[in-house]
Amino acid sequence: MTSTLLRTSAAPAEVITAERVISMVDAGVTYPNGKVALNDVNVDIPAGDFIFLVGASGAGKTTFIRLLIRDVLPTTGHVMVAGSDLSRMRRRDVPKLRRRIGIVFQDFRLLPNKSVFENVAFALEVTGASRGEIRERVPQLLNLVGLQDHQSHLPTQLSGGEQQRTAIARALVHDPALLIADEPTGNLDPVTSWEIIQLLIHINAMGTTVLMATHNQEIVNAMRRRVLALENGNLVRDESGAAYEREY
Amino acid sequence: MAFFRFIGFSGVRAWQGFWRNAMMSLATTATVILMLVLLAGLFVVISGLSSGLAFIESKVAVTARLVDDLSDAERNSVIAEIKALAGVKTVTYVSPEMAMERLKQVYRDRGQELDLGGAPIKLYSSIEINLTETKYSDSVGSALSSYKEVAQITTKQADLDKLLGVINVIRTVGVIAIVLVGLTVLFMIINTIRIAVYARAGEIEIMRLVGASDGFIRWPFILEGLLCGLIGALVAIGLLAIVWDPIQPVMFSVFQMPVAVGARFLATLSGLLLAVGLGVGALGSWISVRSYLAA
Repeated sequence: MTSTLLRTSAAPAEVITAERVISMVDAGVTYPNGKVALNDVNVDIPAGDFIFLVGASGAGKTTFIRLLIRDVLPTTGHVMVAGSDLSRMRRRDVPKLRRRIGIVFQDFRLLPNKSVFENVAFALEVTGASRGEIRERVPQLLNLVGLQDHQSHLPTQLSGGEQQRTAIARALVHDPALLIADEPTGNLDPVTSWEIIQLLIHINAMGTTVLMATHNQEIVNAMRRRVLALENGNLVRDESGAAYEREY
Repeated sequence: MAFFRFIGFSGVRAWQGFWRNAMMSLATTATVILMLVLLAGLFVVISGLSSGLAFIESKVAVTARLVDDLSDAERNSVIAEIKALAGVKTVTYVSPEMAMERLKQVYRDRGQELDLGGAPIKLYSSIEINLTETKYSDSVGSALSSYKEVAQITTKQADLDKLLGVINVIRTVGVIAIVLVGLTVLFMIINTIRIAVYARAGEIEIMRLVGASDGFIRWPFILEGLLCGLIGALVAIGLLAIVWDPIQPVMFSVFQMPVAVGARFLATLSGLLLAVGLGVGALGSWISVRSYLAA
């Protein structure tokens, strides 16, 4: 009797947590100034997906990302990320959520006075990792992003691509379920942009879900992955194997 | 183990933060020192006056000047009757010769010699009455006034009231001064920590994004404020230790009492300075962290 009850009540929740990294149900965000940034967004993103988030400036991409890292709360609907309902999450549990999400930005956001190694190590240090863990984990990540020979360089001594690789290594320190890349190639030349994309594909292949917000049509068109298009806060297109623009 | 890493991390960052904006941190520490030196001064003065007060209270006494030329029998019978009054602890007869000896002693204490130029001065004889409690001062005084053998009565109540008045004024003025300086110190600490928070804005943003808990973000700043308080307190205690011995004679001549009742007084005062220094440091940084690091 007990086991039946457990199975029927627990099974659906487990399906959601195991298979969907992101689930938005009628999610909307209206800022205190009355601006509707997102409106009734419904989207499910299964684990292991590679998704492009496209849309003009002001379409709601940034709010979409802020929702995922619980930087803003949905004013309507629900947002589930990595198995947690963000509206019901206690404030002190937010850091735990953020360790399950890695994030990189167009402007890299590296600490200028810290070396490549220290920038990556910082993310471990501030979450209470031991020196042993740091010594073990950071070189692994720097190998993964191909910066093993640049450990002691300061960000100013690196190219844009190398800085973005450092940021990606930092985003991966906690082995996140989801990697969010907000315009990661926005400051990079085309060749370097492709190198970064290759790295993201590699990370995705290892099992991490990747969500990349971008304006780069060439990359989206060449990759033919799932595309979420936002327009004035509305999700106007959710299409697999798609191009940057609507093709029909 | 994780706790020690947290403490280590916070401590190192607090130390770096303190020296990153050294001018501001040192200025804040200087105000902490100023406040604590003021506090120490007030504490010493109030303690000195209070021990003076206790000294007088321990000798709650009524002095009755006797009329001249009393016979021994008359005097003894008065003394016996006074001894029987309620609230009287001891009655001591002070002969004119003893009074003269005391006067000479007072001069000797000041390093002078009483020189009467050979004049035949005879002091009054008196009786000194110690009371069990201050409250008997009035009743004993009025009982004494009915004796024809008593020429004049002086009680210590007047001295006591005067001293209490002085203590209250000093305490009030001192407390107001310390509260004002304390508010300045608090303001300085809030500002210093606010600047420290701004200086680390980039790091704080990254800490949030990578999932650092609130403790990791906030405690370094609270420790930085505590550091200002701690250094300020240690310097103030050091200053106090340096001037302690040299000021003792001054204290003695002002309060007629050695203020340093052994090392315990200094230890108590040091503890107070440390507690106030750390307290104001913690409070200031806590307010700052609450206002500028709101989640």
